[in-house]
This record gives sequence, C-alpha cells and structure tokens, in this order.
Amino acid sequence: MIAVSMTVNGARVTRDIDDATLLSDFLREELRLTGTHVGCDTTQCGCCVVHLDGLSVKSCTVLAAQAEGGAVTTIEGLATAEGLHPMQRAFRECHGLQCGFCTTGQIMAGAELIASWQGPLDEHRVREEMEGNLCRCTGYHNIVKAILAARDEMDLPDA
Amino acid sequence: MPKLDILGALRSVGQPMRRKEDQRLITGQGQFTDDFTMPDQCWTAMVRSPYPHAAIRGIDDRGARALPGVIAVLTGSDALADGIGQIPHNPVPSTRFDVKLTGRGGTPIYIGEHFLLPVDRARYVGEAVAMVVAETREQALTAAEAVIVDWDPLPWVAGTREAAADTAPPVWDGLPDNILVDATFGDEAATDAAFAAAEHVVSATMAIGRVTGVPLEPRAALGWFDPETERYTLRAGSGGAVRQKHELATVLGVDPEQLRVISLDVGGNFGTRNRAYVEFGLVLWASRRVGRPVKFRADRSESFLTDYQGRDLVVTIALAINASGRFLAIRSDNLSNVGARCVSLSPLSKGSGLITGSYDIPVATLRSRATFSNTMPTQAYRSSGRPEVTFAIERLIDKAARELGFDRLELRRRNLVAPSQFPYRNAVGSPYDSGEYERNMDRLLEIADWTGAQERQRQARANGMLYGVGFANYVESSIGSPKERCDMIVAPDGTVEIVIGTQPAGQGHETSFAQVVADLLGIAFDDVTVTLGDTDVVTGGGGTHSGRSMRHASTVIALAAQDLVERAAALAAAHFEVTIDEVTFDTGVFGARDTNLSCDWAELARAAAHESAEGLRVRRDNEMHQPVFPNGSAMCEVEIDPETGGIEITRYTTVDDVGRCINPMIVHGQTHGGIAQGVGQALWEGCTIDPDSGQPLAGSLTDYGMPRSDNMPSFVTEIAEVISPTNPFGVKAGGEGGTTPAPAVIMSAIEDALAPLGAIEIEMPATPNRIWRAIQTLRDRQPQNAQMECAQ
Repeated sequence: MIAVSMTVNGARVTRDIDDATLLSDFLREELRLTGTHVGCDTTQCGCCVVHLDGLSVKSCTVLAAQAEGGAVTTIEGLATAEGLHPMQRAFRECHGLQCGFCTTGQIMAGAELIASWQGPLDEHRVREEMEGNLCRCTGYHNIVKAILAARDEMDLPDA
Repeated sequence: MPKLDILGALRSVGQPMRRKEDQRLITGQGQFTDDFTMPDQCWTAMVRSPYPHAAIRGIDDRGARALPGVIAVLTGSDALADGIGQIPHNPVPSTRFDVKLTGRGGTPIYIGEHFLLPVDRARYVGEAVAMVVAETREQALTAAEAVIVDWDPLPWVAGTREAAADTAPPVWDGLPDNILVDATFGDEAATDAAFAAAEHVVSATMAIGRVTGVPLEPRAALGWFDPETERYTLRAGSGGAVRQKHELATVLGVDPEQLRVISLDVGGNFGTRNRAYVEFGLVLWASRRVGRPVKFRADRSESFLTDYQGRDLVVTIALAINASGRFLAIRSDNLSNVGARCVSLSPLSKGSGLITGSYDIPVATLRSRATFSNTMPTQAYRSSGRPEVTFAIERLIDKAARELGFDRLELRRRNLVAPSQFPYRNAVGSPYDSGEYERNMDRLLEIADWTGAQERQRQARANGMLYGVGFANYVESSIGSPKERCDMIVAPDGTVEIVIGTQPAGQGHETSFAQVVADLLGIAFDDVTVTLGDTDVVTGGGGTHSGRSMRHASTVIALAAQDLVERAAALAAAHFEVTIDEVTFDTGVFGARDTNLSCDWAELARAAAHESAEGLRVRRDNEMHQPVFPNGSAMCEVEIDPETGGIEITRYTTVDDVGRCINPMIVHGQTHGGIAQGVGQALWEGCTIDPDSGQPLAGSLTDYGMPRSDNMPSFVTEIAEVISPTNPFGVKAGGEGGTTPAPAVIMSAIEDALAPLGAIEIEMPATPNRIWRAIQTLRDRQPQNAQMECAQ
C-alpha cells in the first residue's frame, strides 16, 4: 500500500491504495467518479481519457501513483459554474454521441486537442489526431463535426 | 368521443430534436452496469476453455481455494446439484411472417444444450467451465488461473464449410452430421425450368465471414439475492430486460416475479446483448450461494472470445437471365454457422426471406442450412442476415454485368420491383410493403455525382492510383418480436410519463418516443419522460432488435394515446356536465362543443386522482406481426495505392427509405454508425481462427481491425420517406440500412478499381495485404509481365 495525493477536479484528495492501482480504477472505485469508462484495459479504445496536468492520458495505463502531486481533470470536472464546456455542448448539438460510453473519453480528448493544437485544424487533422478514440455507434462523422464546431465556438471573441 | 388525428397532430415529429439522454452522458452521469457498486460485493472471474473441443475429466480447485480472498469455486456439477437449468433459447423468429426453418425433412430443430457451466465438455475456446468468487476482481482473476482442469482434447471443427462436411467431427452426440437446419423454400420445379430455358446463367460462391459486435462497454453483471424476500436482482445491460427476466428466471427455476432485471444505460449492443449470457445467471446463483452481491466484468479479450458473434454465412447462388437482361429465376444455397450451440437462427431466417433482393424475380429456390461448429455461438448482429444476402445478390449482379456485357446500373434498373407492384410478394413469400426503388437509385446517382466519378477516376489514375466506384441497392425486412406494451401516466402537473419495453443502446428512444407522445397528446416535448429498462416498472415488451423499436413503439403509443384521450374525455364530460359525445380534444385541450368550457391534462389528472389512487393512466398491449421493408441505394468511391494495397474511401453516399422519419438527426446518426460497421466487415474485421490449433486469433483491439476516425470518410446520407401502409405513423426502420449494402458496395468499388488489371475476387475483409496480393496476381497474369519473366 502507498499513500497518493493529487488534485482531482480542483479538490485535493489523498488515499492509501495498492501500489498497482491504475488511475482509471482509482477514479472509478476510490473516488466514485464513474464518468471515466474502461473499454479495453489496454490503451486501445480511449474511453478512459482524462487530463493529467492539462494533457490527455489514457487512465487505464497510468498508475495512480504516477499522478502523485498532479492535477487530474475528469469529465465530471469539465463543466464550470458558467455551464457546460463548449465541447460538451457541441457533442449534444451535433449528435456526436449515441450510447454515450466512449463519449466522455472523446470529449476529454477533443477538448485537449482544441486547447493544445497550434495552427489550423481541419477535418483531416481532427481525424488523424482522434484515431486513438474508438466509437462503435457514430461512424465518427458527427464526432468530427462536433470537435470542429467546438473549435469554432472557442475561437469566438468573448460576447 | 374524440378520435386522435395522428397526421394532423404532427409538430415535433420530423424535427431534429436534441436528445434528452445527452445531458447525463456528456457530464459523466450515465448509469452503465459497471458504474454500480454494492456494499459487501465480491467479484467473479471465469475459468475458460483453452481448447476448441475437449472433455472435462476433472476440475481441481484446491490450489485456487487456498489463494488470498477466494470465497468459492463453483462448477457445473454444483449448479446441477442446485437445480440450475439451461438458458431457454427459442432460436426461430416468432412472427407469422418469419421464414419457417426446420430440421431435415421438416423435423424439429436440434439446438444443443446451454447450461451455464457445462459438465461434459467445452465446445469452443473461451467457454466458461468454472467460476471463482473472491473479494476483489484481481484475486478472482488470479485464482481462476490456478484452477486445474483435466482436459482431454477432442477433434474439432471451426470453418463453416468444414463443419458441414461429411467427415466433420460432431459437436453434439445427438446430431452426428452437425446440420441442425435443412429447409427448402420456393418452387423447385419452376426454378429448374427457368434455368433450363435461360440464355444466361451466372453463379458464384461467397463467404460472408464471422465478425463480432465490439460494443465499447464490455458486458458486465451485478447480481444479488435477498434472503428475506427470496428475490433476485440483476443489473446488466442488454437488448431487453423483460426477455432477460423470463429467460433467467427459467435458468434459476423461480417464478419470473422473483427476479428483477435492471438495464439502464447500455454502451452499445448491435445484437450482441440480445440473448442471455451465462455470466448473468452465474452472478445470481453465486450470490445466493455466498450470501453477498457478486459482480462480473468482462475484459476486452473475454468480449472478443465470448460476446455472441455475427454473420458467418456461405452462399452458393445462381441467377438465370434472358437475352435482354431480365432476371428469370434465382437459386441459392445458404449455409449458416451457428457456433457450438444454437442461440438464434435470426441471421439465416432474415436473409432467407430476402433472397431476391430489390428485384422482381418471378421464381426462386432457396435451401437454408445451419451447422454447428466449435466456435462461439452466433446471434443477430447489426442488420441480422440482411447484409449477407444483399452482398450475395448485388455482387452476383455486378458479375453478371461484367461477364455478359451489361451496364451494371441498367441491368439493375431492368429488374427492380416497380412502385406499381406494391404490395409485392417476392418468390419466397416476403410481403414487401412499399417503396420507390428506382427513384432511390436516381436520387443517389444525382447526389453522389455518378457522372463526375469518371473524371475523378481519370485524375486518380493520372496520379498513379487505382480508383473504383461501388454501387448497391438493398431491401431489408424489419420484423422483430411482435408484442409491445405501453403504460401512459399523466401527473397532476400535466406532464406525461410513458413506460415501454424497448431497450435502447444509443438509439435515442427517450427522445423520439417523447416526440410521438408530445404530438399525440398536444403537450410540450419537454413535458414527456420515457421510462425503460427496469422490470419492476416495465412489465412487458419486446426489447430492441431488428429495427422494431420505433415502429412498435409509435404504434402502441398511438393506441395508448387514443385510450388515454377516451379516458380523459369521460372525466371531462363529467366535469363539464355534458355527454362524452360532446367533448372535443385539440392540441392538449379538452372542450365541450358549442360552449367555452375547457380544461387541460393537468386538471383532468387532478380530477382522476380524486376519483382513485390510480389517477389518469392507461396500459395498452399491442401485437403486430406485419413486417416492413426499408430499402435504399448506396454508392462509394475508393482510391487504392497499387504499390501497397492501401485503400482510402474518398466518398460514401446513401439514400435510405426509412418510412416516416420521427427524428432525422437520430436517423442520420444511426445510418452513419451502420455504414461504419458494414465497411468494417468489408475492409478489416474478422474473427479469424487458426486452422491448425482452432485458436481465435482476434483477441484484442490490436488484432481486430476496427473503423477508426482516420480510416473513415464523412458521409452524405439522405432520407427518403415512402410511408409504410402497415402502421399508424408509416414507420419502416432506420440505421441498419447503413450496414446492409455496405459490404457489397465496398467490394464493388474495389473490384471496379482493379478492373484495368483484370477481374479477380477478393475475400472479405479486403485488407491491404489481400488487395496487394490480388494486384500481384493480376499483374502476373498480364502478357507483358510474362514476357519480362521469360526474358529474365
């Protein structure tokens, strides 16, 4: 057992856990943040994407201990007091989700892509960058549309 | 008595209403099975067979029991001793319009046994033969590795044709030749005569391989037994909680009311979850044994091995054609691989009824067979049975056009069922309801810019690429379980809840059903809620499969709404002190003729609540057997790098007649996903089995090729609404039409791209490796290459 401390969605958490605990299990089982989903256990599907210190990680292949001292944002922490994140709104508006299982990972990966991408972002680039997030329902068409729509919205000057 | 005017009431129906489901799903508040944890719960892991076929000589669990955290190791013998029974599969589809499959000579179909844990032998790799219950999932998985099974490997067979061969080892002692279905349909004498007289006969044998659904939520189950009430509860995502309740109650040997099944958010289904899984029964039984809730979650490899799989049909098909290109007769021999036990014959049955495709072929003979094999059982998968037969007929028409010198579109046009022929009964008896098949084709060719494809091909070739255009028509049947139930309840604030027995896994029932209810009752979309998936609330219903849900739901909702209006009208009559015949109803407002009296749903619900505790509610059951036949056309363009076999889909366009479209945003989304699954089968997906060892080779997402964002194009999808005369809203079905023509249209495009090099048939999945090999074969066949080789 080891003690780990990190910030999750803005709140400081400390837990004694088994050394081998994955970050995804830590979030789901210890903190009951079940919006982070596990679809494959092997870093293939992207359902478990969260942000660790601002970067997308697949939390099923990060040890909770590796996040020691870090700042984790999960889907539950993406919206703010002002409302949903533009990526969340865009997924709803563009019908970028069906069953919703991969969606939380898609939204987290899409949000980080928009925040970190330097330069123009077109459909081709979004498709290349998002290939690590699988979806079985949408054929990706509306996911790509949603990410580009969120990008457009986030580029808008403040109202 | 007010009568509902359905078509006059439509306001939100037909609009792209944003989904009610989305708020919880985009904020991480979804309620998937694995999101639930119970105090004191323990975990289970399965001991699975490493052999495709092996007798179980003994199970030694001493080592496993000694490991930390282990609570119990349970085997099939323990289950038998506790009176745990088999899963009661009823594999033959149940409506009056489904093709009636039988064993040889009309005999009953032998389906094999399906105990939760077999005691005699394992019949496929991955079959569970024992379960370990432990404090944690990791402890259970570790202990499962320590259970020693004394295996005695037996001869096995996996391939479809091999399993049906005379020399194949039997999967079941009770059926020595493995052939559980052998039935012939149509008019054999007339077919033989038409073939004998035909100018041309074109034939082919095609394999539509085994794939798996890959819903991204791995299947999971949480079961518990309450000793005080003697009641079981199961949380498990499925295609219909009501069906699961009845089947699992049979397994447990209890009255169905002693079992509650809860299926809330379901992370994809595509058919894989429609039938009961052994683990669902096992967690319930084990919970009673150990006195604690027991949870199971498959990892991805277990899902690849033991989710019910799809397709796997071998078709030998021939078409008789006259000199002017009219189809005279079709003959087909369809062989389905059901795996180690017969769970569902839906794929074979659905395809059997559609063997003539979109075409007016006067006579047909169809032989439908099914074989056991030492593989995971198959089940309906995304447009069950229909992509297979669409592939067979559409690819055969392309071949006929090529070999006989017809234009491939013109040959199709000459034979399509014409609008004037509806209702049309095809040569094996399927009653096509409505459609404008040639108009679909025309519209598709227009929006996909068929005429411009030649120029795109010229440009691609100038860049050294191969470029092909694929085309396919399709018609499919939507039948499904015939019964559906709707409870409709008006709350005192005038909001309405419906309870219904379908089970969505992303299809947006909470939204599209609410649109129907809102319009019929004349209330706001926001004032309707839809309750699904908990058998303590949802008491009846047929689940979600075969494109049945929107059609069955809108029909039973329309009937319930009429009942509710009548019940409310009686209350209004008493309230207004008029006769019921004087009560009017318009857009949510009840009135009395020739007066200015009026009241709304809220007032009547409050009045009803005064009368009885039940308040204002109705329950309606409906049984509907009549099928509908969604149809359409699809076209795609592909670019192939001749040096690598790498393929890119550059355009993909469809026109789909879904009947009345309730929510176009949802229907387009369903179509997109359907296309991707069909394309996946054509290009990447396959549950390959090693021919030497019988081991499945696709055990993870690294071995099983999936549609990804960077290998799929954006789509152009258009909805055609030819209203079905068979149900009140005129609904057919949406979504599966994306899948149905996709394997055919992709393979058609690849064949067209390779045409400058020659004609060759490539098996699905057409991976870059297979395409590259085909290109080499074709190049070797070319005379200049032969000469070069001689010169060397």
